[in-house]
Amino acid sequence: MERNATAPLEDPALRARFERDVLPMLPHLYSAALRLTRNPPDAEDLLQETYLRAFRGFAGFEEGTNLRAWMYRILTNTFINSYRKKQREPITVQDEDIEDWYLYDRLAGSGVEASAESEVLDRIPDEEVQRALEALPEGFRMAVLLADVEGFSYKEIAEIMDVPIGTVMSRLHRGRKALQKALWETVQERGLVAG
Amino acid sequence: MRDDCRKVLEQVERYLDGELEAAARLEIDEHLEACGPCMDRSEFQRSLKELLRAKCGCDEVPPQVLERLRSTLAHL
Repeated sequence: MERNATAPLEDPALRARFERDVLPMLPHLYSAALRLTRNPPDAEDLLQETYLRAFRGFAGFEEGTNLRAWMYRILTNTFINSYRKKQREPITVQDEDIEDWYLYDRLAGSGVEASAESEVLDRIPDEEVQRALEALPEGFRMAVLLADVEGFSYKEIAEIMDVPIGTVMSRLHRGRKALQKALWETVQERGLVAG
Repeated sequence: MRDDCRKVLEQVERYLDGELEAAARLEIDEHLEACGPCMDRSEFQRSLKELLRAKCGCDEVPPQVLERLRSTLAHL
């Protein structure tokens, strides 16, 4: 049985396929690891661990099924099991006071011309957008990351995170609202709108 | 806000996420083409998605990360 777990070692074709198909995902996985751990040393360790687990399990991966989703599932599971901070972080977003279209309505209400609301977004520095995403509670951050940054479908996200699709939809909606509030705070702090 | 606008805006996230069936998608397409205010909101929501993809998914991988990974895998 143990042999199975180390099969890629002895199969040059499998090793070659791993390098061909899985290594090129590194840039995206690195970004995802950064958003999850919020710091480069932990992101690097998380990646190492993820690739190790993937390498060891690769013999059992069924070719033709969703390799990207498989890798992100390993990444998120590894993060949850090993790297997430043990400190007390909020597990849900405080969004009772955040109405739908929070950011749009505030931009429109602060004198930004119709159809120019999106242009304000472009002026927000990269680090501030990253910080807003990283500030979301873990389950919400993962859902938004997987949907908006990585472009996974609801079904894929449900499988990666092992939650029902309804939970994915709810976390996306609430996570995006919380994100809008954080971005609005940045817009105000940086004086990106007149109001 | 009109009822049909409210109904469309409630579905805009799923619409932009590509999660609606063809018929529902078509209905939203038609509404947006005829309704400037809803189109404006929908485009804003789309921009938010694009903002995240553009700014949160392309960090440069430090060379040592790839080196360490290759070295680890080579020794397995």
